[in-house]
Amino acid sequence: MLVFIARRLVVSVFVLFVATFVMFVLSANTGDPLADLRELPADDRESAMAERIERMRLDLPVYARYFLWLGDALTGDFGVNRQGQDVNILLVDAVSATMQLVVAATVLAIVIGIAIGIISALRQYSGFDHAVTFGAFVAFSLPIFWVGVLLKQYGAIEFNNWLVQPSIPTLVIILGALLAGLAWSSLIVGDRRARLIAFAGASGITAVLLLWISLTEWFADPGLGPVVIALSAFGGAVGISALFSGLKLNRPMYAALAAAAIGTVLSFALAPVLADPSLGVILALAAATVIVCAGLGYGIGGVLHRRNAIAAAVWTGLFTGGVIFVDRMLQAFAGYSDSVQGRPISTIGASTPNYQGTFWELSLDSVGHLALPTMALILVSLATYTRYSRASMLEVMNQDYVRTARAKGLPERTVVTRHAFRNGLIPITTLAAYDFGTVIGGAVVTETVFGWRAMGDLLVTGLNEADPAPAMAFFVVTGGAIVVFNMIADIAYAYLDPRIRLS
Amino acid sequence: MTQSSNTPPHTEAAPEQAPTGGSSATDSTGETHTAETHTRDQAPTEEEVLRVEDLSVEFPTDDGRVKAVRNVSYSLREREVLSIVGESGSGKSVSSMAVMGLLPRSARISGRILYRGQDLLAMRQKELRSLRGRKISMIFQDPMTALNPVHTVGDQLAEAVLAHSLVPPAKARERAREMLDLVGIPQAAQRLRSYPHEFSGGMRQRVMIAMAIINDPDVIIADEPTTALDVTVQAQILEKLLEVKDAVNAAILLITHDLGVVAGLAHRVLVMYAGTPVEVGGTEDVFYRTRMPYTAGLLGSIPSMTSDHGEPLRPIRGTPPSLIDMPRGCPFSPRCPLADDTCRSVEPVLLPTDDQENEHLAACHHWERLAAADDPTAFFRNGGQY
Amino acid sequence: MTTHNQTPSGSPDPDAAQGMDIAARTQWQLVRARFFRHRAALLGMVLLAVVVLLAFTSIGIGPVPGWWDKSPTETGSLVNGGKPTLGLVPEFLGGAGLALGEHPFGQDNVGKDYFALTMRGTQVSLIIAFVVGIVATVVATVIGACAGYFRGWTETVLMRITDVLIAIPLLVIAAAAAKIAGQQGILFLGVVLGLVTWTQTARLVRSSVLSLREKEFVEAARSVGTSAVRIIFKHILPNTVGVIIVSVTLAIAAAVLLESALSFLGMGVQPPDTSLGRLITDYRSAMGTRPWLFYWPGLFIILIALSVNFIGDGLRDAFDPRQNRVRD
Repeated sequence: MLVFIARRLVVSVFVLFVATFVMFVLSANTGDPLADLRELPADDRESAMAERIERMRLDLPVYARYFLWLGDALTGDFGVNRQGQDVNILLVDAVSATMQLVVAATVLAIVIGIAIGIISALRQYSGFDHAVTFGAFVAFSLPIFWVGVLLKQYGAIEFNNWLVQPSIPTLVIILGALLAGLAWSSLIVGDRRARLIAFAGASGITAVLLLWISLTEWFADPGLGPVVIALSAFGGAVGISALFSGLKLNRPMYAALAAAAIGTVLSFALAPVLADPSLGVILALAAATVIVCAGLGYGIGGVLHRRNAIAAAVWTGLFTGGVIFVDRMLQAFAGYSDSVQGRPISTIGASTPNYQGTFWELSLDSVGHLALPTMALILVSLATYTRYSRASMLEVMNQDYVRTARAKGLPERTVVTRHAFRNGLIPITTLAAYDFGTVIGGAVVTETVFGWRAMGDLLVTGLNEADPAPAMAFFVVTGGAIVVFNMIADIAYAYLDPRIRLS
Repeated sequence: MTQSSNTPPHTEAAPEQAPTGGSSATDSTGETHTAETHTRDQAPTEEEVLRVEDLSVEFPTDDGRVKAVRNVSYSLREREVLSIVGESGSGKSVSSMAVMGLLPRSARISGRILYRGQDLLAMRQKELRSLRGRKISMIFQDPMTALNPVHTVGDQLAEAVLAHSLVPPAKARERAREMLDLVGIPQAAQRLRSYPHEFSGGMRQRVMIAMAIINDPDVIIADEPTTALDVTVQAQILEKLLEVKDAVNAAILLITHDLGVVAGLAHRVLVMYAGTPVEVGGTEDVFYRTRMPYTAGLLGSIPSMTSDHGEPLRPIRGTPPSLIDMPRGCPFSPRCPLADDTCRSVEPVLLPTDDQENEHLAACHHWERLAAADDPTAFFRNGGQY
Repeated sequence: MTTHNQTPSGSPDPDAAQGMDIAARTQWQLVRARFFRHRAALLGMVLLAVVVLLAFTSIGIGPVPGWWDKSPTETGSLVNGGKPTLGLVPEFLGGAGLALGEHPFGQDNVGKDYFALTMRGTQVSLIIAFVVGIVATVVATVIGACAGYFRGWTETVLMRITDVLIAIPLLVIAAAAAKIAGQQGILFLGVVLGLVTWTQTARLVRSSVLSLREKEFVEAARSVGTSAVRIIFKHILPNTVGVIIVSVTLAIAAAVLLESALSFLGMGVQPPDTSLGRLITDYRSAMGTRPWLFYWPGLFIILIALSVNFIGDGLRDAFDPRQNRVRD
């Protein structure tokens, strides 16, 4: 398997080398690099032009400039742009902002897209499936920058205005409730009565929830509170253990409930630690959660249920931790909102300049800036993953081995999670590697809409000014990221498919 | 559709034995001969394990309703081997998938399927699932695709045990190893950790057999278990199937288009055409006292070792009818050399023939003409022009 | 007779499908019949036809005049702050009645008729998209077919070229190409964009040809000494036509969006000409005050892309009916 990945890596790097040449020639020929200087007064013109010709080595042919650039780039020096700024310095700031955006969008698109796709496939031809299919087609047809501008108007400007007095109009409550009802009833398998019950239940709960949010003006100072934390933890425990071993009171369920209980108690006990932690503390807590919950599952599961109990307990523990994390962030919201003049959702840039605050406030600042660009960027990828995982899952569910699994008498839950899911993921890994390139392209547009001075800016400026240095810096970093992502996809592929692993 | 013919029956020979006799009437290749000995050692009892009554299955499609199965009835006794024979599209697989409850959701099913008196079609999913794989198990046609490529063979076998009984995973693996031993896979303990793609087709089908018997079932449905295999492997697999059937005392519903397979193994045969049974009876009766022209046509399509050299095969002309627009009358009438106006207007029902005490039924207006003929397959000579 | 509905879903048994003995129809008749059964695809056809007709008849093209009396370039005085005069709410519902009015889509800040501008933008975007689709498909088909048929070093070279192009994110290479080509007019821009967007289709064609070249009918043609060119064009390509047609449709939909994104970055169509993407860019700062300048071109981009995508989906189902053989 190592040989397989190494070979892929060598080919990728070679291809990347040739691609840098193509890119260099193209970006060096996008216009006249001296255009702006030709309009200077005659006496300045000569010296300025001579200086720039010297700096950009315009006296040399393109291929010679490429090899000069390549020689420097191989030592990690991306040169200077035509104003003489060091591209490496520009790159450092740009990379972290863009990679945050691109990674957040990719991970969210993969997780949400696959989940929706699979549900859609399992409920083929349901109302939900039709809605998802239609939604995916609309997403494929939306210009990303158009969506970006819309999001700026309604997601940021109007939303921030609304936050001043966050009550929800009655019509919105009614529509939201009806929509939730329709969504749930279309997901239920059963007769008309079961669907009606699902519709009424989901509508009712949503209506009450929205009404409560509206009346208490929850958005002005949000937070979950201990009751909601406990309820979500135990609800999550039941759901997660049902996924692993069915909805009955057995050992995996006990293990999950125990994990939820410990998590809820610890959310109080650890309050001082959680007031202003560092990222390291959060990661250490997550690791501790996994270890403790695995031990819990091992102890409670016994010989018969050990595997499922460990899985259920660990996932429940992580879920509870996530809920507590979100709660802490929401609690910091009011303070953060005040500190940015009541405009928490930002339209410009990757972070508030010179912002100081607790871990939670800094996280909120990132989220506030990342939220809208990520939403704009995620649309196409989300649609792609949804369509592909739906198609892949439908294909897998029709395979003979799924029929064999059913013929063994396995419950449908096990058939889907153990036999269909993993096979359905195999083709998706190939897609993920390809889609990552699309996301990087989309990021260029999104960054322009939201005024981020990041990687996209390097490319656009480079091309507009016929200046290869910043454009190439963009390309090397994103191309390198694509190669790395491809490699991760290859490893995932080999992990998922034993036939690849051995050959 | 290819007819594999490693075990050709003597279509021309006179019957030598009574149907329940101890030795064979079909002098076929060595393997099937031994296999047959097993069959006859474990005679079926009178106890009925599976009874199908008036089963019909329809699929709605873009082109109309496909009537895949129409009014199928049969019963299977303990330790009996019942073979369902027919061409592709005759509904033999669909009817057995209905027994397993594995038809797609869109299928419209009617009739009754009784397992020891309980109607499977009226059962809740949960009850049905507890029978599936435990009391009624299935072996599929293509062993290359029937095993999940991403899980080890041991996991897939053990899973079948764990689905029905609360035992420690190690016990289930031990059972899996025993089963692999039983079906003749060498070094079973190591092979448990192998993935399906590391096995050959014949070995995979052995794994499928092991999976089918791992919970001591009463009924094994074998859907064309040897069709996808090499001819040399086919005989080994059939032999193994009968051997394990005896080990667990199960009855077998053997679905096949290969009459050669039937001849050696089955106690009784049910011939299907266009979704409906056209002839039912003891294997020897159906083979040597054929009472339905379609069965005769099938028998005539098989090359026989003992037939005179130079004598041509006698294939059935034409193709089976559309299951959407069924012709009026007997579905076989467009291809039948005996068809007359009655056949083209009235569909015959399954009725007892001359061979009453052996429950030999046929759906043909003209079964007496076949009874009167020396060699019913001769009707198909010269493509039915005579 | 009681009917039972079994819940586990799985493939219908092949027996069921093989039993269907449909009256012989040619492949094209089957494809057409299946396509016309696809409601979304039909809707897409109608929508696209309406958009194309509207764009090309309203303001005319080149020297040919259209039925709309205003041109996209003439400025005028602002009527009612440039608000759209299009009325869609009938009077009996309390609206102003169904009417086009003087400026159905409103006016921009110098009084240009926005309907005429949007129609011009639609024309340009459509022309570019179709040119991109055709060029990309021709290049992809030739390269994919040669790589798939000849194998050996031809395949290696062609597929490595494809890999190099795929390694560069599409928007990035298209931006560079469009920056160079944008000055030369919309047709040239379309051709250049076509030259960088063929890679995925080429891979599809190649894999399809790879499997076809091993088929008996190709062996037969080879054994009687048919030339390679003739085998490719007469025997192999007609059998990949489904793959090609579907991917040309999807390429056109992608090209509409690509062109608009490039124009948005300032690298596609250059002034004084305009396109839908260009219009959005030019007027996006007016979002707060004159939102119609932003909505109309966006709406037309979505209409075109959505209808072409629906047509593509219909074609895919029509050519590959495996996926939807049995309905619930």
